[in-house]
Amino acid sequence: MGLTFLLIEDDEIERLKFARVLQKNKYNHTLLEAENGEKALEYLESNKELPDLIFLDLNMPKMNGLEFLKILKSNPALRYTPVVILSTSNNYNDLKESYEIGIAGYIVKPLKYEEYAHKIKCLIEYWSINELIKR
Amino acid sequence: MSDELEILQRALQREKAARKQAEQILEGKSRELYELAQQLKNVNAKLEEGLNEKASELQGVFENLVDAYVLMDISGNIIKMNDAANDLFGYNISEEQLNVVRLIYEDDYQYAMSSFQKLVTQGSFTNYQARVTTKHKGIRTVHINASLIFNKKNKPIAAQGIVRDITEELKQKRIFEEQKKQLSAIVENSSLGIALTQFGKIIQTNKALQNLLGFTQDELMHKEVKAISHKEELEESEENMQKMNDGEIDTFSINKKYIKKDGTIFWAKTNVAAVRNEDGSIKYQVALIEDITEQLKFEKQREVLVKNLENSNKELNDYAHIVSHDLKSPLRSMNALLTWLKEDYVEVLDENAQSSLDLLLKKVDKMDLLINGILRYSSIDKINQPQQKVILQDVVSDIIDVIHIPQHITIEIITELPNVKGDKFRLQQLFQNLLNNAVKYNDKKKGIVTISCKEKEEFWEFAIADNGPGISEKYYDKIFQIFQTLDDKNESTGVGLSIVKKIIDVYEGKIWLKSKEREGTTFYFTLKKQVV
Repeated sequence: MGLTFLLIEDDEIERLKFARVLQKNKYNHTLLEAENGEKALEYLESNKELPDLIFLDLNMPKMNGLEFLKILKSNPALRYTPVVILSTSNNYNDLKESYEIGIAGYIVKPLKYEEYAHKIKCLIEYWSINELIKR
Repeated sequence: MSDELEILQRALQREKAARKQAEQILEGKSRELYELAQQLKNVNAKLEEGLNEKASELQGVFENLVDAYVLMDISGNIIKMNDAANDLFGYNISEEQLNVVRLIYEDDYQYAMSSFQKLVTQGSFTNYQARVTTKHKGIRTVHINASLIFNKKNKPIAAQGIVRDITEELKQKRIFEEQKKQLSAIVENSSLGIALTQFGKIIQTNKALQNLLGFTQDELMHKEVKAISHKEELEESEENMQKMNDGEIDTFSINKKYIKKDGTIFWAKTNVAAVRNEDGSIKYQVALIEDITEQLKFEKQREVLVKNLENSNKELNDYAHIVSHDLKSPLRSMNALLTWLKEDYVEVLDENAQSSLDLLLKKVDKMDLLINGILRYSSIDKINQPQQKVILQDVVSDIIDVIHIPQHITIEIITELPNVKGDKFRLQQLFQNLLNNAVKYNDKKKGIVTISCKEKEEFWEFAIADNGPGISEKYYDKIFQIFQTLDDKNESTGVGLSIVKKIIDVYEGKIWLKSKEREGTTFYFTLKKQVV
């Protein structure tokens, strides 16, 4: 059964990379994309079908990843959706704050596309075998 | 005849009576005389007794006189000296004749003669002060009061003098005066303002304080300390004064404002010390006043500078961090796009195009390495781990186990490494970077790297020697600059040694090298010893 992912990422190429990994691996999952935190919240609060999993970039203009995460986790309707961070850095403070607010995973985006593709593949396969709350 | 007889008889009678009367008178007189003689005897005895008493009293006084007593005849020959005089002059007059002239110190002869003249003409002199030559004690300074002794006919027969040795006293006085002079020279020339106060009033000041306040000594005398103090620190001052009066403290220090004559204010550090009477009550207080207006200004400036520096340091660190991440993002994109080009157009691209794409990918890699270098470099002084005991022997052994060492290279620790106090992570980075370089660039068939350490007085001096390609002297300074590399291969970023340098700076050490091209390089560095 296919899952629905929401990828919140301001960089177009990053979005393309994620989509390409899904496509190359012929995964039967749906990918929703949002360019930033505001647009993601807009979508989530519009009572459409909620995604099963959220992939979140931390460095974004306007509302950054952590701000988005705080709002999400304080919303009783949205707080059970697992969030995996896709970040450029393993900065200690970012990691600590993310886990404090509540995340399901933290992936550092590597330089090389091959490594990236491998990581995302592992990630998706892991979540494919997880039990998730369905609404 | 009978008449005659009768007359005779009557005359005889009268005579008898008269005789009887005379006898009676004589007897009375005799008695009186006896009594008188008796009385006289008594008086005499009493007088004699009194005289003896006085004489022995005098003898006692004479013997017990602490000062020297000298009795001499009118020509200056000494007749008598008491013990103190014997002791002072060192002559025994029962054995040898002594004239006072012999005692006079040559230079004082004139003065002695004129004083003697005064004695003869006026009968006495007082406060004569001159030097005498003694037999055993050398030249002493003495003080003499002298007077003439007259006989019943008011003719001078002798002279007596009381002599006090004031040599020590004068010496002490001179020392005291000298010390007083020295002390007042110190006080007067001190750059600290100094005041003596009593019951809150000024009783003495020095030049520096007068200059500080703009008042003269006279203007300051008996002025209340309050009158020259700013009221803001009055309470604190008074609290301290109270404690001092109560005997709880003997000194205190306070930073307070003083008001000058012209009404302006200066800040001064004031140290107050109590000088107490024997019963513990305060005799007076000594205040040392140091103008710290400039100092405070500098401190304030320094605080601002440090604050600014901290800020710009933090900004710089944040900046490096942010910029590196922002720079990395397009690199990731470039890598992805290049990879896709290669994958998607593998049929279309010829070998030439493929290798160009590979080169491009390599450059992207290099760029990434450089950015990582910036990140590491800028985070060196950011990570502030607590100082801990670091066993360098273990740290370096661990590094040797961890880094990649090709078969043909050996690393050896040839002297035991010390324990130091510091940040383990930094020290590890320091050794790791140096060892990495020594291994990585080694071009010999049998590569040898050694680590040793020497103890210096304040430093540990380490040496890491290799038998690699060596470094030309012209690069000795350059290699420690960031992004400077002597490597033709693409792997080095030129960050390693700059990080090493930065870490050594943190430990107040130095780094230098000795090298011979083609034969090898030894890096020396020092770390300041810390108490472990």
